[in-house]
Amino acid sequence: MTSTLRQVSMLIVKDLRIEGRTRQTMGLVLVLGILIVSVLGLGFSQTPQLAALGTPAILWVAYLFSGVLCFEKTMAVERQDGALAGLLLAPIDRGVIYLSKLISNLALMLAVAAIITPVGILFFGFDLSPAPDGFVLIISISMLGFAAVGTLFAALVSSTRLAGGLLALVIFPVILPLVIASTHQMTALFRDGVPPGGTGLTILLAFDAIFLVTSWLVFEVVLEP
Amino acid sequence: MKNNALRILYWVVTLLTFVGAILLVFAWTPDEATMGMIQKIFYFHLPIAINTFLACMTVFVASLGYLSTRQTWWDDLALAAAKVSVLLCTGVLGTGMLWAHGAWGVWWTWSPRLTFSFMLWLLYVVYVLVRASIESPQRRAVVAAVYGVVAFLDVPLVYLSVKLLPDIHPSSIGLSDSMRLTLGLCFIPITLLAAGLIWERYHLARYERAKRDAARHDGEEDHRFPVIVTGGGA
Repeated sequence: MTSTLRQVSMLIVKDLRIEGRTRQTMGLVLVLGILIVSVLGLGFSQTPQLAALGTPAILWVAYLFSGVLCFEKTMAVERQDGALAGLLLAPIDRGVIYLSKLISNLALMLAVAAIITPVGILFFGFDLSPAPDGFVLIISISMLGFAAVGTLFAALVSSTRLAGGLLALVIFPVILPLVIASTHQMTALFRDGVPPGGTGLTILLAFDAIFLVTSWLVFEVVLEP
Repeated sequence: MKNNALRILYWVVTLLTFVGAILLVFAWTPDEATMGMIQKIFYFHLPIAINTFLACMTVFVASLGYLSTRQTWWDDLALAAAKVSVLLCTGVLGTGMLWAHGAWGVWWTWSPRLTFSFMLWLLYVVYVLVRASIESPQRRAVVAAVYGVVAFLDVPLVYLSVKLLPDIHPSSIGLSDSMRLTLGLCFIPITLLAAGLIWERYHLARYERAKRDAARHDGEEDHRFPVIVTGGGA
């Protein structure tokens, strides 16, 4: 158990150190997210009241596209200089590789969300003050499920030539229930003042659990140098 | 030869049951009191919807089969079932939209079940498209199988999540005995059609694969079947 934890933490530190030194993922992902929020902000400039109500949906569009780019980039790092082959040769369980990749992706995505969200809130005049903790809770649970599916599919399609476009194509339809449940919870929270809970929260948690377990199980067959 | 005769017999029987079902629906079953003629679409809508789900489940089982045994026929079966799922789901969406237009006066509304059919359609259209964009047959099979498993596990979540949307879809319809009988009988042609299509597509996929393998075995491309040789079997 302790050795597994050590392996996971070593792999995460490796991923974050590479990111810290090159900053190749975060830069791209952040700018893309801010661009998406700006495009939607300009699109809604004639009807700002619509944008204020729809901020959670707008933020989700930004999260989805930046997330796909983020997952793709963190997997592409492993493709360089045969890093993945080395990783696969190491005496580490594939599940551990999945878990560490997932946690680094989650850390990056939460950092991205922490920057994109204030930008969105600023642009659209969304009032977060009624329930900032509820907002953070819903987004964190949703991001876990998103990263679980994203990490699996990024590893799955990274060895094909069409990685970029293909990744968004396979992630989006699978992630839709998460987006529906998440925006439903946000609307209930900020429009009607209902705290997170009920079917919406159950779906988010079930999504996380189902795809964490499934991804852990099938990751064995997914990785290929 | 005997196989071909059986095949023709199968399709003739399917066609006849279809004709019988259409006669039953339009000539024998009474019109529904409030919705009238448009309600007839229900006799096909529900069986197609149930068969869509069965086809999706076939993709799931075949995907699991491929992942655990790595035998190519599982992959061919998954492909066949996925294509038929998309076709049937298009049928569900089409009949559903017609019905929505007749009953509610709109072609589209984000009501839970219409949204559910639409999201199911998206999931499996992507399955077919993704297959077509991967060149290596082994890689394609693995990607498709993992996606097939994930997509099917996603279905109950999709179903639960669309229930959060506001609903105007009937949750149950009062049916007379004759209506119920017609509905039951309408399952026969639709199920025969779905199973027959999966079977035909599966055999086509097997044939394509055999042809491709033979061409590769000869060490040269078989120019009589250029589409098949370049990996068009997705």
